[in-house]
Amino acid sequence: MSDRITVEELSELMKKAAGVTVSAEELQQRYDSGFDALGVDSLGLLGIVGELENRHGAPMPTDAERSRTPRQFLDLVNSALPAGA
Amino acid sequence: MSEPHDRRAAITGIGVVAPNGTSTDTFWKATQEGLSVLDRVTREGCEHLPLKVAGEVRGFDPAATIEERFLVQTDRFTHFAMAAADFALDDARLGQADATEAPYSIGVVTAAGSGGGAFGQRELQQLWSKGSRFVGPYQSIAWFYAASTGQISIRRKFKGPCSVVASDEAGGLDALAHAARAVRRGTDVIVAGSTEAPLAPYSVVCQLGYDELSTVADPSRAYRPFTEDACGFVPAEGGAMLVVEAETAARERGADIRAHLAGHAATFTGASRWAESREGLAQAIRGALAEADCAPEEVDVVFADALGVPEADRAEALAIADVLGAHGRRVPVTAPKTGTGRGYCAAPVLDTAAAVLALEHGLIPPTPGVVAVCHDLDLVTGRARPAELRTALILSRGLMGSNSALVVRHGAVG
Repeated sequence: MSDRITVEELSELMKKAAGVTVSAEELQQRYDSGFDALGVDSLGLLGIVGELENRHGAPMPTDAERSRTPRQFLDLVNSALPAGA
Repeated sequence: MSEPHDRRAAITGIGVVAPNGTSTDTFWKATQEGLSVLDRVTREGCEHLPLKVAGEVRGFDPAATIEERFLVQTDRFTHFAMAAADFALDDARLGQADATEAPYSIGVVTAAGSGGGAFGQRELQQLWSKGSRFVGPYQSIAWFYAASTGQISIRRKFKGPCSVVASDEAGGLDALAHAARAVRRGTDVIVAGSTEAPLAPYSVVCQLGYDELSTVADPSRAYRPFTEDACGFVPAEGGAMLVVEAETAARERGADIRAHLAGHAATFTGASRWAESREGLAQAIRGALAEADCAPEEVDVVFADALGVPEADRAEALAIADVLGAHGRRVPVTAPKTGTGRGYCAAPVLDTAAAVLALEHGLIPPTPGVVAVCHDLDLVTGRARPAELRTALILSRGLMGSNSALVVRHGAVG
């Protein structure tokens, strides 16, 4: 898989790995909110990174789990994926 | 506990999630009626194990009270703890505003025997079936026996002193004593108690090595302490959390003083050395009575450890007689846990909850399923016994050798 990770996938993973329900639309609006404000703690983000690595079969950038906001996170993980589908 | 009067530790709230009731009211109703809820183990993956009977908590929906983000990172034993802590705080009429206003004035103390077995098993299965990358990060905290203390304090935003007591089953009582000490040192409120969830396959297998575990398949015969038919104990899940509060702080905010934690002592006599537990338990009782400044004749009811192993039952009956003398043969003794099973560290905390309710209602709950007592004890059997109750003595022993005694006095007793 080399598709870009979307805000929809992040929303789904936040629910699955961290038990936090924020719809993709709301996440888009809160793109620059801190993960802590969204209710995702550091272990929750680590779990999201682990899920993505397993799904995409590729390691994520080492700093991914230190991202502060959804925007930072998606920019970082997508920069690491091979471009194009 | 022998603190100046104004730093006395009071119980101002009770929260219960037990096999015989998932609220304090339903727990007390079932306990005073002497209902037994011991039943066949139904938990998935346990069907073929030699443990056949346990006290399962049924009809508890953690999602009804606990946010999903706390549920995904915690085991069932912590679900019980978070719910019981909520119930206890509600009962004490302490809300989130109190924590926001003075977060350092509230702490948490729990005891746990084994931690989050089901969560740990699930993640270990991921490890061996798929690999380390499939183990979730919450494994690092969820199966740790300290998880409940941490999660209660994080969720409720408490920043007062937090700790975990690891001292065997008797640790349930030691946690309450630790809470009383924290109150004496200046913290207004400690949410204290224990919950356990030892009925997952991995956890059950861990218990199969205990000689004291009952593997009798008939729920009505599986746990009968103090009788000729004693054949070990039946395990249980669930537990209770109590709000332990400085009496002054409670009075200032107009809360009801339900009981006082008046005295406690603990000893150690070695794993499964039940004959030796006689002296260890007696010494704990003496220490608890001394701290409570309580004469043996003032004990109105004893909540027994009631292990259900003949040698251990004999040692307990003798320990009571050793310390209470002639009064030991007259004082009513009860073991309501025969109706729910023995939830390790949670068992003596549930007994303490039952003792406080007994003091309030003037009613000693019976020992379900026990009829012919073969020791020199006035064991309350059949139905609850009305009595004027001011002081209760709660006893607990652990399979690894801890002995503990706690004296609880009615809130109205000066």
